[in-house]
Amino acid sequence: MVTAVKRKLGALLGVSVLAVGMAACSDTPPPASEDREPLGVNYSTGDPAADSSDEWTLGTTDTITAVDPAGAYDFGSWNLQYQMFQTLVSVPANGSEPEPDAASCAYDDPQTITCDLDEGLTFANGNELTSSDVKYSLERNIAINDPNGSAILLGSIIDDSNPDKPVLAKGAVETPDDTTVVFHLNKPDLTFLKVLSTATASIVDEEVYPANKELADTDEHSGSGPYVLAQYKDGVQATFELNENYAGPHPGIAPRVYVSYYKDDASLASDIKKGAIDIAWRSLSPTQQQGLADDGVAVLKGNGSEFRYWVWDMNEGAGTEAAVRQAVAQVLDRDQISANAYDGTVTPSYSIVPPGFGGQKDSFMDVYGDPDVDAATALLEDAGVETPVALKLGYPQEHYGPNAVDEATEIAEQLNDTGLFDVTTETGEWEQYQTDYKKDAYDLFMLGWYPDFLDADNYLSPFVVDGGFFANGYSNDEVNTLVDEELAETDEAARDEIIGQIQDIVAEDVPLIPSWNGANIAAVGEGMGGVQDTLDPTYIFRFWMITKS
Amino acid sequence: MALPGFGWTTRVWRTRGLARWMFWIGLAITAAFVVLAIFAPLIAPYGFAESRVDGVKLPKLAPPSSYFIFGTNDMFYDVFSRVVWGARTAMEVIVISVIFSVAIGVPLGLVAGFIGGVVDRVLVFLMDALYAFPSLLLAIVMAFLLNQKLGNGIVAAALSITVIYIPQYFRVVRNTTVSVREATYVEAARALGANPFTVMRKYLFGNVIQSVPVIGTLNAADALSTLAALGFLGMGIQPNEAAEWGYDLNRALDDPLIGVWWTGLFPGLAIVLLITGLTLVGEGLNETLNPALRRRRMLPVRFPARAGADERETEAGR
Amino acid sequence: MSSSRGSLPRYIAVRTLLVIPMMWVLLTMVFILLRVAPGDPVTAAAGGKLSADEIARRQAALGLDQPLFQQYLDYLGDVVRFRFGNAISDGTPVTTLIRDHGGATLTLTIGAFIFAVGVGVPLGRWAGRHRDTIIDAPIRLLGIVVYAAPVFWMGILLILLIGNLWPSWPTSGIASPQAIFEVPTHTHILLVDAAIDGTYFWDVLQHHLLPCFVLGLLLAGVIVRLVRINVIQTMQADYVEAARARGISERVVVRDHAFRNALVPVVTVIGLQVALTLSGAVLTENTFNWPGLGTDLVDYVIARDYVAVQGLVTFFALIVVIVSVVVDVINALIDPRVRY
Repeated sequence: MVTAVKRKLGALLGVSVLAVGMAACSDTPPPASEDREPLGVNYSTGDPAADSSDEWTLGTTDTITAVDPAGAYDFGSWNLQYQMFQTLVSVPANGSEPEPDAASCAYDDPQTITCDLDEGLTFANGNELTSSDVKYSLERNIAINDPNGSAILLGSIIDDSNPDKPVLAKGAVETPDDTTVVFHLNKPDLTFLKVLSTATASIVDEEVYPANKELADTDEHSGSGPYVLAQYKDGVQATFELNENYAGPHPGIAPRVYVSYYKDDASLASDIKKGAIDIAWRSLSPTQQQGLADDGVAVLKGNGSEFRYWVWDMNEGAGTEAAVRQAVAQVLDRDQISANAYDGTVTPSYSIVPPGFGGQKDSFMDVYGDPDVDAATALLEDAGVETPVALKLGYPQEHYGPNAVDEATEIAEQLNDTGLFDVTTETGEWEQYQTDYKKDAYDLFMLGWYPDFLDADNYLSPFVVDGGFFANGYSNDEVNTLVDEELAETDEAARDEIIGQIQDIVAEDVPLIPSWNGANIAAVGEGMGGVQDTLDPTYIFRFWMITKS
Repeated sequence: MALPGFGWTTRVWRTRGLARWMFWIGLAITAAFVVLAIFAPLIAPYGFAESRVDGVKLPKLAPPSSYFIFGTNDMFYDVFSRVVWGARTAMEVIVISVIFSVAIGVPLGLVAGFIGGVVDRVLVFLMDALYAFPSLLLAIVMAFLLNQKLGNGIVAAALSITVIYIPQYFRVVRNTTVSVREATYVEAARALGANPFTVMRKYLFGNVIQSVPVIGTLNAADALSTLAALGFLGMGIQPNEAAEWGYDLNRALDDPLIGVWWTGLFPGLAIVLLITGLTLVGEGLNETLNPALRRRRMLPVRFPARAGADERETEAGR
Repeated sequence: MSSSRGSLPRYIAVRTLLVIPMMWVLLTMVFILLRVAPGDPVTAAAGGKLSADEIARRQAALGLDQPLFQQYLDYLGDVVRFRFGNAISDGTPVTTLIRDHGGATLTLTIGAFIFAVGVGVPLGRWAGRHRDTIIDAPIRLLGIVVYAAPVFWMGILLILLIGNLWPSWPTSGIASPQAIFEVPTHTHILLVDAAIDGTYFWDVLQHHLLPCFVLGLLLAGVIVRLVRINVIQTMQADYVEAARARGISERVVVRDHAFRNALVPVVTVIGLQVALTLSGAVLTENTFNWPGLGTDLVDYVIARDYVAVQGLVTFFALIVVIVSVVVDVINALIDPRVRY
């Protein structure tokens, strides 16, 4: 190995001296791309979990905003909380519907949920967990209203008549006895049970957590989850140990788990390669995945829910013309985007709702089929649009990793090659980009999305109702009505039908163009079991499922 | 950089031994990069952001071969072309940033040194504060400010870097001005009632400007490493705006994992070579132009000892 | 440097008082730069999912809707009362941030300085003594090349090399997970805590060596060049020539006369390298996954989190100023020409 490195370095110096002289001769055409073996990752399948386990280390580039559930709205923090706290219900790995956790819950009607808490639940500090703790947890989360928190998800039980001081709506949560909690929602909301399965509804001990302020990260935290946070060092490491008092449905196996926080995925990849950590999770680049797999590190792939898409600015510019939006959707080659910009590690997306969600259908495939320049030409001609159409593509610098540039470049090249468009790309630093795209700086701009909870609506309400959160100017009364209907529809088949209709309309209107869906990737070292099973679209890393032998 | 009537070329030429060799090697390296920069379109087989030729994509991460002598990277770009075009980017950034920091730092230094008093103290204070601010951060914040106005191109990057180097010119020029101001001939001119602008232009500028090429070349080296650092952190020039070595290094970070070494090695070597070249030139100039460092050729003390001193004075005489 | 007569304590007091206007300028710069820069800490929160109303409300809560000058006064008022506040982007109290991450940056930079001075000063001195010889040239070249090589590039090459030579040698982080968990906290500086405890000292030290070496190389490059130049400069000074003329051997001339005086400007300039060290530390911390303040600072600057940046910059400025005061005092002590 060493000699190989030295030899390479030696050879290089030789080459670089010759380089200038040789450059002039290289005007022969380059070999076509097909001449090379295509890049691709060989994913492993992973081992099942064992009965017992050694301690293990998870490496991640996720960051922690707060340990207290009232202060966070990000994967890193939520994943700490999922280990430490129970929620009333939880979504099992690769499942889609919430199942009993601390309680069993059911809708009485689209506006009422009743939960029966398990008997004998206690927090790690020995205090009893009662219905009053559940109510208290939600109440304080809403009252604290941390700008970085996720109380915003609890809209259906919030009274925000005073927007500066939102509170838990009067009577929204009732606790008739110690083991019963009844939710009265302010509107029909069939997604609320799923909200209750997220970390924002973590049940905290009312005797430990203050009502109107958060517990500091380094204070002693006490939940009723399978693990307790034994030590937390911000930006460095979190250490978990088994919760002796755990009485829920999924007790942990490994006695101790370390989570190492990385600033950069390059160190993460090199540490999993040399065995300094046992699992590297969530942010491995396509090149890293391939390199690790080539080196014999098992790279595991589970279903993900990451969604990358391009939004049309429909307030002004080329995006106001439906034919232009449709023509771009008509010629975009998503397979090429996946292959060229991401080494095939992402899945082309043909709908705003990713596969795996009830009611999902590949509407863009149904409407446009394979990329077709002639069809696009016809679309533009019929609408009397003069070609080439000038388009400005925007993408954020660094925020979505370096491959975002490659995606923008690939799309620009594809569009320019048709001769129908004259595309330029422009980037903005993330903080500024978010202001710029709302100010119509780009015709078509890139955004990414992870759902807050697994429901098809989480890809609809925020996107297509009156311009979506990105305020792109799209508004379709039919869509707005359908979204309201879908939210209140209790019959699953009928709801899936409505969700399908919305996707079809979106594919015709093209307020945005889906690009790809990302997977949930982990690289694991020797002897790890159960990792594959927890890789699902929720991106919850279930420590209790993982073993090391 | 033209220097007002000053025998510095002769002096450089007269330097002896290894120091001279190192100076010339530095100059040769720098010149080579200047040539690459100027003739980039002729030397580079592809454009800096050319991933397709006649509708056919270049290969991804192809190893060095007769087609691609430095291989290709994961953006489907030819590494050799990126290195060559990168020289142009580097030179443009260096030239723009040096010109601007000279244009701002030198007059400020002159004014502060000449006027003195409160103006001087305030300026010195501001510049010291600017100097104490971590330079990379300053460059990052300036990049935010300028990218909005100028896009993510060369000019914005160059100007972000400029701010860092103004204090250095300011300091040197101000200190020289203060010492020259007291010189007899300047005092005389002032006593004769020459207006301050004339004094500054006629008597101070010529003297003060001597130190500029030295700082200029040394700062050019620094500017390049700051540019690379910005690129490495992903806050500099975008790959489709221009080729920039630091950005390419950032992109090459993961490549060694899959046994690809050519994407990281060549841009890195280019940075090291050019900075080394510039520094050798700067230090060479410093050692020959700075009287305190200039080699005295009459080292063994012999009688009459005055000979050495005389020669020194002639050389330093203005 | 003041030329009026006075006592050393008085000199230190005056020097320290000057810290205040210096800080004021730095803080004003932070304020202006971060407020004039486009983007704000609120818009980006929650991944852009907030409504325009909600954004406006949160900006108002932070006082961002006030006139800029009012904001500036509030900001200074807080600093004067030592209220550094909580970072906007993640709510961490700035003092906690400094306490928890300052130690790692401190040991990294001090380690780098020790290495750089230990290697740089003797090499520079040797090269300066043998100017323009076969000894001087390679040392000079080495000094230039290690300075020229970007820290991150050097770091990656070394990580690759060491990964091949000693695969078990740690190349990222400040300690192994076990050490981080087991070492009891006394000082919040892990290396010191580990030394007190003893068990994991080697583990922590081992993690320090490579990052300190890489950052140290960069600094050593600067120091070699500075020491060399200063030795040359002093060796040409009249009093050194006089010593030579008295027939004192060259070695003794360098040791007793040239070198000691050459150190004065070097100490000064090394003091000024704090800013460079910090820039270097940002890149080193990034490359070696080092849990220090350098990367924090960059992250917060990007987030436009002026509260965090203001706190951290105040902290760094304090260090810069303390170092420069210390440097002045040392100079005053070793250089008889300085009168205080």
